[in-house]
Amino acid sequence: MKVLVCMKQTPDTEASIKIAADGKGIEEQNIKWIMSPYDEYAVEEAIRIKEKQTGETVVVTVGTDRVVESMRTALAMGIDRGVHCVDPAFLGSDALATAKILASVIKTENPDVVLCGRQAIDLDQAQAPAYLAEILGWPQVYSVAKLELKGNAAVCNRRIEGGEEIVETSLPCVMTCDKGLNEPRYASLPGIMKAKKKEIKKWALAQTGLAETDVGTAGAKVKTLGYLPLPDRPPGKVFKEMETADMVKQVVKLLREEAKVI
Amino acid sequence: MVSFMPSEDQKMIQDMARDFAVNELRPKAHDCDEKDTVPEATLQAGWELGMVNAVIPEKYGGAGMERSAVTGALMAEELAWGDLSMAMALLAPALFAYPVMEFGTDPQKDKYLPKFCGGKYLKATSALVEPYFNFDLSSLKTKAEKKGNGYLINGDKCLVPIGLNAELYLVWASLEGKPGYENVAGFIVEKGAAGLKLGEREKNMGIKALETAELKLENLQVPVENRLGGEAGCDFKRVAALSWVAQTALAAGVARSSFEYGRDYAKERVAFGEPIAHRQAIAFMLAEMGWEVDAARLLGWEAAWKLDVKKPDAFKDAYLAKLYADQMAVWVTDCGLQILGGHGYIREHPVEMWLRNGRGFAAFEGMAIV
Repeated sequence: MKVLVCMKQTPDTEASIKIAADGKGIEEQNIKWIMSPYDEYAVEEAIRIKEKQTGETVVVTVGTDRVVESMRTALAMGIDRGVHCVDPAFLGSDALATAKILASVIKTENPDVVLCGRQAIDLDQAQAPAYLAEILGWPQVYSVAKLELKGNAAVCNRRIEGGEEIVETSLPCVMTCDKGLNEPRYASLPGIMKAKKKEIKKWALAQTGLAETDVGTAGAKVKTLGYLPLPDRPPGKVFKEMETADMVKQVVKLLREEAKVI
Repeated sequence: MVSFMPSEDQKMIQDMARDFAVNELRPKAHDCDEKDTVPEATLQAGWELGMVNAVIPEKYGGAGMERSAVTGALMAEELAWGDLSMAMALLAPALFAYPVMEFGTDPQKDKYLPKFCGGKYLKATSALVEPYFNFDLSSLKTKAEKKGNGYLINGDKCLVPIGLNAELYLVWASLEGKPGYENVAGFIVEKGAAGLKLGEREKNMGIKALETAELKLENLQVPVENRLGGEAGCDFKRVAALSWVAQTALAAGVARSSFEYGRDYAKERVAFGEPIAHRQAIAFMLAEMGWEVDAARLLGWEAAWKLDVKKPDAFKDAYLAKLYADQMAVWVTDCGLQILGGHGYIREHPVEMWLRNGRGFAAFEGMAIV
């Protein structure tokens, strides 16, 4: 069984995000970058599949040189090797363009299963896996909370509103992993040491077979116009130097008329 | 010039230790302190990540990772940030394994190092500290007397981590002759040896979750081949210096937890109309706590680096780092408690535990070797 994991590097969940001066992105300096947490479930699941059935695991990422650090984390956890899609032409890719790049790797690698995180925690689009399945002509199972591989098929429990749906799919397929699928392991010290020696192959535009106009800003169907920060929370109101009974009356009135919560 | 940029490996090890501390140690610390116990599963989890045995050479079954006091310090600080008792329990087997790895004879390495490369946490430790007010590392009151084809050891030890349940002990004793670090030797003693008398579990002010015990060594016979490094012995000054560097890192970890907790509390706690962090008395205290933690950490890193590259003044630097860290840990954790005021004295907040734990560094010696 060959399992391929598509991974995205995102800012740490605890990073404080500031919009860049031009409003077109975020300030990337002084941010800690991590593997998107849902992708950790995908990495862990891939390793578990290999431990159970033997085979090979590959992690694929699109991004600048900084994403290599998160790829190393996946390799330290136990993934066998990596493919790093990096090319100046890839900059500014939207989800569809990213999926095209990933699909070019997958067509060469020919895995049995492609695992992705349910969504990346930065842009929350959850689109690339669906595009990927469409480009490849493979089935896609979204938000998998339990996975069982049976020969040339997979039985997945999907998280749906109020419960779970059990579906069966043929392989190869694309699946996106949800919280609860597994408990991702820590990278062990020997794992960290071995990760250094594992191969990370570069994959540039020339290898993808795509045109420059298919990817990056040129190929993006969605144009990001700008980013806005969340509005500041208005300051709280403080009531003092009044009789308690009057204060309560005032608060209740405002809760009813202004906040409209009672 | 020394670089402060960790290598890719060091960064990943630090990240792993931090995640482990956040998820596995910190949430359990309070309960472990209340119940005087460290969960076996946590020790096992740390063991499986190779916290002790990754640096053992491959021919003995380890991963053959390069041993570095700097890397060890990075990891120890994170673990101690999670919980000092559990950090010490996780690292205690290194007290035995690392001196054997560095100074052991080939037969000693062949016999003992593979035991550390199994899948199960191995309870191993060292017995160094002695219950005397004038305890002095360079002049141990535990004596090893050469008798025929072995040594006869007599003396008392205390604060031996996992002292009642260890499978392997590295017992430190002074040889006959004039006192000095050169005269201190290590002896490999296995559980159940005649003359190794286990005492009581000690009731400590801090690190309550960690089992520490007194040992009595009464005519303990150790064959000559169990003297660490054989007749050539070992460089005990280096063993001590490595221990001091590790303790400095552990102290920085404990102090950092108290500093961060106090800082976050001060930003949220409102008194007299504004967060107390806006008050100079608190703001200055926090700034001082921050620089004290950084200062101790940097002293420790410098000494660790000197130990890694075998600079002759590493010993002195390690001692200064440890001396600084001893005082820093008490002061910073005391301030951490003070920032919370009366709340800090209540066990619901962890700051009182960190003060009790931080107080230990000046009291115990040589309990962790990285």
